[in-house]
Amino acid sequence: MMTETDPVSEAILRFYHRYDAALDDRLLDEWPNFFADDGLYRITTRENWDGGYPLSTVLCEGVGMMRDRAVAIQTSMTYTPRAYRRFQSGTLVLDRSGIEVETRSNFLVLETLPDRQSQVAYCGVSYDRIRLDGPDMRFSKRVCVLDTEMISNSLIYPI
Amino acid sequence: MNGLKQEQAGRCWPEEASRVPLWVYSDPSVYADEMERIFYGDHWSYVALEAEIPEVGDYKTTFIGERSVIVVRTGDDEIAVHENRCAHRGARFCREKFGKAKEFACPYHQWVYSLEGELQAVPFQRGVRRKGGMPESFDLKDNGLNRLRVQCENGIIWATFSQETPDFKEYLGERMYAHYQRVYDGRPLKVLGYNRQHIPANWKMMMENIKDSYHPGLLHVFFSTFGLFRADQESATELDDTGRHGILISRKGEQELNDVSGSIRSFDGDLELSDTRLIEYEHEWSTPQTVGMITVFPSAILQQQVNSLSTRQIIPKGAGGFDFVWTHFGYADDDEEMTQRRLLQANLFGPAGIVSAEDGEVIEYCQEGATGNASQNAMIEMGGHEIECTDYMITETAIRGMYAYYKKIMGF
Repeated sequence: MMTETDPVSEAILRFYHRYDAALDDRLLDEWPNFFADDGLYRITTRENWDGGYPLSTVLCEGVGMMRDRAVAIQTSMTYTPRAYRRFQSGTLVLDRSGIEVETRSNFLVLETLPDRQSQVAYCGVSYDRIRLDGPDMRFSKRVCVLDTEMISNSLIYPI
Repeated sequence: MNGLKQEQAGRCWPEEASRVPLWVYSDPSVYADEMERIFYGDHWSYVALEAEIPEVGDYKTTFIGERSVIVVRTGDDEIAVHENRCAHRGARFCREKFGKAKEFACPYHQWVYSLEGELQAVPFQRGVRRKGGMPESFDLKDNGLNRLRVQCENGIIWATFSQETPDFKEYLGERMYAHYQRVYDGRPLKVLGYNRQHIPANWKMMMENIKDSYHPGLLHVFFSTFGLFRADQESATELDDTGRHGILISRKGEQELNDVSGSIRSFDGDLELSDTRLIEYEHEWSTPQTVGMITVFPSAILQQQVNSLSTRQIIPKGAGGFDFVWTHFGYADDDEEMTQRRLLQANLFGPAGIVSAEDGEVIEYCQEGATGNASQNAMIEMGGHEIECTDYMITETAIRGMYAYYKKIMGF
């Protein structure tokens, strides 16, 4: 059972809000800037997470891989245009050691495809580590674990 | 169904060569017939990797067609596959994707089955105080779970509902079996994890997509640009003698502008990776091919793309959609570096794959194009009308092969 060690600061919530806003606005070039250079980004599934399987649905080791994915999404990949809107709640600080804060949050992503009603695309939990450097914050790790059992065709944008 | 009835149903197979009528993708009665003739007929379906159920009692549930099945290890070298359907009232009683059991029990009336699927006990079979219960004629032995035929072949478990399906090697044919043994050479495998997506397109479109050697170097910018799959590379398309199974083979080239890549709209000479680990191939098999995509009709795709290995299972969900289950794996004796390489390359594949997400998307476009246009045809004429093995990729021969076989068994 996880215990809350620290109140969630306004600054941490604002960091998350800025992150979600940048992605909702599809500012993908900014996405890697939310991460430390050696940051890790993963989307995986509850099935893999609970089963101890290392496979990810998306895996970026370092901002270079995030930039490559951002470029692919914007310039090379073929997919139906869509909007994702991200909702985060229940953020807890689980640990604070030195300059790093470990958090856990729920996420919900609504997807809107052309001529369709908006639908819940993904929900799950993120386990993050945020590196604090004065007023500057960066993810050193963000792992999104999907509850969603069946992805509705494709997962294009980061969460 | 005879020709006259087909015509009455508004279904007519085009006389023009190398065409597929669009009604095969959307007609619910065709879909129902496919379940019987194909998925529950004389064909082997992928159900699991042996590595998923290593110990006696380990089980997995999955689907063949729309029927749920339980794959269970009953002995060190014995695996059974049962239909997940209680003999009593038909409940799909096993609700876990994976588990370990000594027996299976339906929770509704607690009918209990052994791992081998035999009905062991029926509560109050003889009634209570000589009242009620099953008649004398009821025999536990006649009411086990429906047991399928099973064959394990170098790490993959295949199952069939039919007693007539030939031995798996014969089913694949000599040529395809040789390709199969390249990756599945008998070494133990290690599961790396799963991805699951629902693709709103007819199940056959996924088979076509993997048999279509014409598209990868065009649709997939990553493939054409980084030379992972492009028309100027050494390649081949092969089929078994029936035409139903196939393999696309290719050998990695470079990101170079030449007479072929220059003619590909999607080739991007300026695209640069910040981190090239995504596409770095480490030679590990006896032959130099960097792509070997096998389709085992009707439901399995066996992927080798660079060092990324996966099985992709098609689970049809009505004429207009299917679930697509990816099981990524490596070899049990892979070192840490190779495992990491496979995990990083997995970024190209699956529902968020920089390459594979595009396949799900475009076959959805095709399904939308087929819907409401049942009297139209799709063209599969690239490379002509022949069904043959080729040493080039600008061909739709493997799709033609599948439909020649399909047409025959469906009676169209």
